[in-house]
Amino acid sequence: MTSTLVSKSERAYIQASLQATPPLRGDGRGLLDFRTVLLETGVAPLANGSAKLNIGKMPHEGGGGTEVLAATKLEVEDVETGDGVDGGRIVCSVSCSPSAYPHLSSNALDELQYDLTVILQQTIGHPSLHPQNLTIIPRRKSWLLNLDVVILADSGNVVDALFMAARAALWDTKVPRTRAVEYHAPEETQTTRDSAGAMDIDQREAIPQTSGFDTREMVRTAADFELPDYWDEGEVLNGRERWPVCVTLNLLPPTHFLDATLPEEASVPLRMHLTFSFGTPNSANLQSMRLSGPGELDLNQIKAYIADGEKYARELFNALETKLREEDIRRNVKARDRFALR
Amino acid sequence: MSSRVEILNDGGFRSDGRKQYELRDITIDLSQQGTADGSATITHGLTQVMVTVFGPREAKMRSQTLHDRAVLNVEMNVAPFSTGERRKRSRADRRILELSAAIESTFEPVVQTSLYPRSQIDIYVHVLQQDGGLLQACINATTLALIIAGVPLHDFVCAVSGGVHSTEPLLDLTTLEENDLPNLTVAVMPRTRKVTLVTMETRLHVDRFRDIFELACEAGQAIHKEMKRAVRDRTVALVGAMDAGPKHPSGDPDRDVMMEDR
Repeated sequence: MTSTLVSKSERAYIQASLQATPPLRGDGRGLLDFRTVLLETGVAPLANGSAKLNIGKMPHEGGGGTEVLAATKLEVEDVETGDGVDGGRIVCSVSCSPSAYPHLSSNALDELQYDLTVILQQTIGHPSLHPQNLTIIPRRKSWLLNLDVVILADSGNVVDALFMAARAALWDTKVPRTRAVEYHAPEETQTTRDSAGAMDIDQREAIPQTSGFDTREMVRTAADFELPDYWDEGEVLNGRERWPVCVTLNLLPPTHFLDATLPEEASVPLRMHLTFSFGTPNSANLQSMRLSGPGELDLNQIKAYIADGEKYARELFNALETKLREEDIRRNVKARDRFALR
Repeated sequence: MSSRVEILNDGGFRSDGRKQYELRDITIDLSQQGTADGSATITHGLTQVMVTVFGPREAKMRSQTLHDRAVLNVEMNVAPFSTGERRKRSRADRRILELSAAIESTFEPVVQTSLYPRSQIDIYVHVLQQDGGLLQACINATTLALIIAGVPLHDFVCAVSGGVHSTEPLLDLTTLEENDLPNLTVAVMPRTRKVTLVTMETRLHVDRFRDIFELACEAGQAIHKEMKRAVRDRTVALVGAMDAGPKHPSGDPDRDVMMEDR
């Protein structure tokens, strides 16, 4: 993603090592090995869901690695008068810290941010992944889910990191439970009588003031909601098993490899980002595919890469699932136990 | 009568349970971040700020260098999820530019820039969480990051925010208190007791100003103690690791980590 400077000989050296038998990488990994991935959820208490992910941090306070911080925040939107969409909507945004790309000018940084935002938004915002519980009052109020991702450091494979962190933050998101309420004007005044009932109140007989064909009055029903329990964090996002994971295959025909470091990315610029969704244990949906870099592939190669990508993505998905459940236990069950002991 | 949260109740306690002159919990994390030369994360209560420092290094744009000293470049990044209400601020937001300029002018006389002519020192401030005392946290974190990066400074810079509730001075304000009270931020250099930044954006009676100003200068000393302790602990660990030296060849062959810093 970045323009790390690599000399011609260095590039040739890296390419030759990758294509050798057995293939060699600078840090001794195999072609399909990922670096250590560290994940923590719940890092931003003011957000509805958050996660911090680091790929390839050196052990013992070494620092380095690709570090990404993702957080979701829910806002109420008005469907009729505002930008809201019935059913809610998701907006993603990626922001790159200048400390992750110290050699890029601020214009180049903005462009990179925009590119990554588009990659994330097109996949995550797709209707097939849309959660069902983002509606507050049908056709009136809905939730806007803002997914903000900050890239704090980049040492290769930032797209995979983005999707993993996004998935973790979305997994961690809790949507507050709401209940619709309505205010009914007192019975005496004829002109303010509402027609048709609403959620919590009994039906009242409608006395039409105007012609039966006048439908303007019908929409003036309940337009507000409340939180039944202020302290309840809420329920999880519906369909959270569906959020996708991404694997980036760096293509160096005849081989390919995963989780490239910066020099490897600079030496092998052709890559394919595949995002898969594993909603149910046996199904796999290819949510998006993006080929970037100079080069061309023919259809059989693409088919082969997709098949391989699905295998890798499934392993990544299972590992991430295990970790997310562990995090759930650490933060909820264990915290509850500790609190109960006090 | 509206039900408001009491800023300072009769028992002398504030809305978060602190006493009048009590500072919030401070945690300092000096572990390395990415490829930065120096980085520090400081937390004052619920306000968390991370600063990374790159430099001194060759400037990105030659035209912006000075022939006889280094240029300080401060860029601030406020995370959209840092406040209770999500707000995405663009990089050229006025408030952010103001804060960056304040930080730069605070450190201009403190960093020994004359040692590095024609270079640039980049200071990137990341605001991860905000609950009042933002400028204070940014300045403290910047001091620590510069020290960890090995940039020569004349002295620490310790900042603290303060406010006045009718006649009572308070220290280290939260968002709730900042919105209600006249408040100021003071940055002092603890050894010489010189003040390098005083800013106030609200109205305060001049009689009250003296009290809170002197109090804030004293509080800077307390923060200095914490910061010095954190830097000392880290330095001791590093020196210990350096002294340990390479392991004896007959040692455990599986241990390929040469240095321990614990």
